[in-house]
Amino acid sequence: MAGETTARRGAPPALRPGPAARVLPLVPALFLLLAFFAGPVLWTVWASFTDAALTGAAAARTDFVGLRNFERLLTDPDVLDATVLTAVFLVGSGVLGQTALGLLLALLMQGRRGWVRGAVGGVVVAAWVLPEVVAGFVWAAFLEREGTLNLLLQAAGAAPQSWLTSLPILAVVLANVWKGTAFSMMAYSAALAEVPVDLKEAARVDGAGPLRVVWHVVLPLLRRTVAATLLLVTLQTVQVFTLIFVMTGGGPGGRSTTLPLLMYREALGFGDIGYGTAVGLALLVVAGLFSAVHLRTLRPEEVR
Amino acid sequence: MRRAPAALALLLAAVPAAAGCEGSGRDPGTVKIVYQDFGAFRAADPLFRRVKEEFEAANEGVTVELHPIEAPAEDYQTQVNLMNRSPADAPDIIYEDSFTINQDVDAGYLHPLDEYWADWEDAEFYSEQADAAVTALDGKRYGVMLGTDTRGLWYNSRLLEEAGVETPWRPEDWDAVLDTARELEAELGDGVVPLNVYAGTPAGEVSSMQGFQMLLAGTGDALFDEEEQKWVTGAQGFTDALEFIGTVYGEGLALDQRDALNANVATLNNDERIPDGEIAISLDGSWVTQSWIESGNRPWPEWEEEMAFAPMPTREGQEPGAASMSGGWTLAMGAHTADPGLAWRVMAHALSRENALEFAVEGAQIPVRSDVADSEEYRERSSIVPEAVELVGVTAFRPAYGDYPRISLAIQEATEQVVLGEATPEEAAAAYDAEVAGIVGPDAVTGG
Amino acid sequence: MTTAPRPSPAAPRRRRVRSVAAPRRAAAAAVVHLLLAGLALAFALPALWLLLAAFDARASARVRLPEAFTLDNFAAVATRDVLFLPIWNSLFICGGAAVVTVAASVLAAYPLSRFGLRFGRPFLYTVLFATGLPLTAIMVPVYSLFVQFGLVDSRWATMLFLAAASLPFGIWLTKNFLDGIPVELEEAAWVDGASARQSLLRLVVPLAAPGLAVVGVFTLVVTWGNFFVPFLLLRSAERIPAAVRIYTFFGQYGQVSYGELAAYSLLYALPVVVLYLVAARSLGGAFNFGGAMKG
Repeated sequence: MAGETTARRGAPPALRPGPAARVLPLVPALFLLLAFFAGPVLWTVWASFTDAALTGAAAARTDFVGLRNFERLLTDPDVLDATVLTAVFLVGSGVLGQTALGLLLALLMQGRRGWVRGAVGGVVVAAWVLPEVVAGFVWAAFLEREGTLNLLLQAAGAAPQSWLTSLPILAVVLANVWKGTAFSMMAYSAALAEVPVDLKEAARVDGAGPLRVVWHVVLPLLRRTVAATLLLVTLQTVQVFTLIFVMTGGGPGGRSTTLPLLMYREALGFGDIGYGTAVGLALLVVAGLFSAVHLRTLRPEEVR
Repeated sequence: MRRAPAALALLLAAVPAAAGCEGSGRDPGTVKIVYQDFGAFRAADPLFRRVKEEFEAANEGVTVELHPIEAPAEDYQTQVNLMNRSPADAPDIIYEDSFTINQDVDAGYLHPLDEYWADWEDAEFYSEQADAAVTALDGKRYGVMLGTDTRGLWYNSRLLEEAGVETPWRPEDWDAVLDTARELEAELGDGVVPLNVYAGTPAGEVSSMQGFQMLLAGTGDALFDEEEQKWVTGAQGFTDALEFIGTVYGEGLALDQRDALNANVATLNNDERIPDGEIAISLDGSWVTQSWIESGNRPWPEWEEEMAFAPMPTREGQEPGAASMSGGWTLAMGAHTADPGLAWRVMAHALSRENALEFAVEGAQIPVRSDVADSEEYRERSSIVPEAVELVGVTAFRPAYGDYPRISLAIQEATEQVVLGEATPEEAAAAYDAEVAGIVGPDAVTGG
Repeated sequence: MTTAPRPSPAAPRRRRVRSVAAPRRAAAAAVVHLLLAGLALAFALPALWLLLAAFDARASARVRLPEAFTLDNFAAVATRDVLFLPIWNSLFICGGAAVVTVAASVLAAYPLSRFGLRFGRPFLYTVLFATGLPLTAIMVPVYSLFVQFGLVDSRWATMLFLAAASLPFGIWLTKNFLDGIPVELEEAAWVDGASARQSLLRLVVPLAAPGLAVVGVFTLVVTWGNFFVPFLLLRSAERIPAAVRIYTFFGQYGQVSYGELAAYSLLYALPVVVLYLVAARSLGGAFNFGGAMKG
C-alpha cells in the first residue's frame, strides 16, 4: 500500500485539477461531520461543567459549576462500579472472547475445504449481521431460566441458573462474544491468507509441529493485524449500549451497568445532564486514548 | 465542478426542509397532547382519541395532535422532559404524574391554571384534597386530577378457602398477614405463591411504591420530614419494612427471586399469574382489575367471584389500622403553549363528566370528580372495589421533590439486597442512609 | 491495503501437506474439524431458537422442534403499525444514510487519495480518530442539538445524523479502496482535458464500485441494527424504525409471546442478512475488508 500511494504523487502538477476542485468535494462530508460530530463533542465538554438538567430549577437556569461534576465523578461509587464492569466487559468479551475466539476460528478454518469454511463462517457471521436488538432478545431467551442454556446444563447434570439475574455481566459478555467474534475472525482470516506459504513450509520441513509453526511463524507476522483489530474491537466494545440495555437494562441492582448505561441513567433517567455528560466525557477521553494508540500503530507514512 | 456544489446545496437544504416538514413549529390552532400508553395501562389512549375526535368535530380549524409514548413510567417522564426543553417541541397538554408537578414548575415547564379554574363551572366537583395535590410550592394550581388510586392486598378467596382461611379475610397486623401466608404455603404447596410483595430494582417504581412504601406507611415513619424539610434516615420503620420483605422472600412465601427480579413482573402477575390462580395474595394497586375487564389485556369475568380486596394493615394494627399509598394522574398545561385558552378548553373537555367516567371505568381509577364518584352509572360499571375507595381517607403520597427518583432507586436497591440475602435489613438500611446523605447532601438529612 | 482478489491458498497447500506426513495430518485434521463443528454448533444454538420458535405455535424460550407448526406468529405481527411501517422507516432512514454516506465518502476520499492536500493528513488522522469515538457518549448533546433546531422526530435529520456517524469509517474505507485504483488512467484523462468531476464519475466510480458497495452495505447493516439513535431522536409511532418498534412492542409484555418475538426478529433481520449474503457473494474477498483492519 505504501508503494502504491507514493506512485500517485508522480502526476505533473500542471495537469491536476485546480484548488477549488480539490477542496469542494470535501464540503458535504465536512459539513456533516462538523454539524453532527464536532458540535456535540464540544457541547459535551461545555455541559459537563454545568448543572444542566432535564427538570427542576436547574432546567430553567443552567449555571456553570466548575469542576463539581468531575469531583463527583471521582468519588461516586457507581462510577467506580461501572468502570470496573466496563473493564470486565471489555476484557471478557472484547479481548479474551472475540479476539481469541476469532483468531482460533481463523486459524482452524485456514486451508479447510470450501464448504467447511462457508458453513462455520456463515454461522459466525450470521450472529454478526443480526441487529443488536434481536441479538439482545435472542440471548435473553437463551439465558432465561426456562431457556436453552439451562436445558443443556440440566442434561449435563449441572444446576440451572438464572443467568440474567445471578450473573448479568457474564450474560452480556457471552452475548457480545457471540455477536462480535465474526469481525475479528474476518480480519484474521484475511491476514492469514497473506502469510506466505513458503515460510510455514520451511518451518515444517525443519521439523516444527503445527502449533509451533503458528506460534513462531504465523503469529509474529500477524502482530500488526492483531494490534489494529484489538483496538477497533476495544473501541466498539466500550460503547456497547443496546445489547446490555435490551438484555438486563443495566441491572439488577446496577450489576451490569457499564459506563454507557450509567451515562444514560444519569443524563436521561435522572435528568442530570451536566453529570451525565461528564460521565460521557470520561468515556470519550478513554476511547480517545485508545483511538490515539490505534493511530500510533499505523505507521504515519501509510496515512496520507 | 458543477455537480459537487449541487450535491452540497441539496444536503444543506435537506436540514431545514426536514425541520419544516416533520419537526413541529408552534401552530396556534394545534393542541398537542402527550401521554403514556404502555403495558397494562391503556386507559389514557381511548380517552384522548375520543377527545380529539369530539373536539375537532365541534371546533372547525382546531387540530388536536396526539403523542402517545410507549415507555415505562420513568422513560415516559424522560421523554416528556426532553420535549418540554424545546419551546418548539413542547406539548400543550401533559398527562402528568402529580408528584412531578413541583419539579416541572421549578423547571418552568408548566402554565398556571388559576384563572381558568376560577371560571370553570365544574370546579365545584373537586375536593380540597385533590386541589392540594396539584398546587405547587408557589401556591398556584398547575394541574387537574384525572383519577387517583389506592393500594392494598388483593386475595384469591377460592385459594384462601381451599387452605382453610376464613373469608372475607381481614388481617389486623403484619403478623396476621405473614401467618396467613405461611398457612397458604403449608396447605397449597409449590404451585401457588402465597404472598406477592414487589421488591428489587428491575420493577422500578413498582417495587418502591407498591412494595416498600406500602409497608413503611404502616410503621408511622416516612421518607421525608415535611416539617423539617429533610430526608429521614435511621428510622426504625425503614428497617422493619425491609425486615418484612426479608421474611417474605427468605421463607419462600413470595415469588421466586428470579421471577420477582423481572422488569415486567407486575404485568405478568396481573395478566397471567393471578388469573391462572398462581398467586394467593398480592400487595398491589386498586387499578389491577383493569387487566381483567372486558377491554383489558386478560379478560377474566370470574374475577369478581374469586378476587377480593383487604386493606394492608399497619405494623401492629395501630391507628388508623390500615395503610395506603396513592398516586394520581393529572392533566397539566405546557408553559410554551401558544393559545392557553384553547388548550384549557381541550383540557376541560377531557375532564368532562362523561370522559372522567369513561376514564375511571377503563383505567379502574378512583374518580376525583364527586359527581362521577357518586353516580349510579359509575358504581354499576366500575370494577373498582369499595374497600379500595375507602382507603382514600388514610392514604399517603410520595415526597414530590426532585431528588425523589434517586431516593426511590436507593430504596429499590435496599429491597433487592434483602431479597437476594446479600444484606440483613439493618445493613441494607444503613447502606440506604449513607446513599441518601450522598444524594441530597448531609445537611438535608435528619435522624440517624 | 489492496482490494485485488486474494489468491486462494487452500488448494495448493492441501496438496503439499498430504505429501509430507499424511497419517498425522489426517488425525490433526479430524481434531480441527471436530473443534470447528463444536464452535459452529455453539454459535448456531441461540440463532436456531429464533428459527424454530418463529414457527412454533407454543414457543418457549427453549430450542426445540415446533410441536405444532404454524405461520400464525408471522400473521400476528404482519400488520401496518407493527411491521410494515417500521420496516419502511428503517429502509428510508438506513438506506438513505447508506446512500448519503457513500456519496459524501467518495467525494471526500477522492481528493484525499489523488491530490497531495496540505491538510489531507491531519484530516485523515482526525477522521480515523473519530471512528473510535463512542457514539453513545455524544447522544445527549446530539439530542439537545436536535431540540435546538426542531429536528426531533424527523426521519430526515435522523438519517443525516446516522450518515454523519458512519462517515469517518466510510471515508477511511473509501480512501483505501481508491488508493488501490491505478492513477494512470485518470492522468491520461486529465491530459485529454477531462475535469476532476469527469474522471471521478466516468473512471473512478465505476472502478471503485465494489468498494463503494461494501461501504454502502456496511453502513446499511450497521445502521439497520442501531437502536439507541432512533430511540432518542424519533418519537411518534409513525416514524420509528423496526429497531425501536421491536423493543417497544415486546419490551412491555416481558417477552411473553416468544413465537411472535422470534417471527418479528426474523422478518426484521431478513433484509440485512439477504443483502449481506448477496454482497458477500458478488463482491467476494472485498467484503472481508480485512485490509482496512491492517490499517
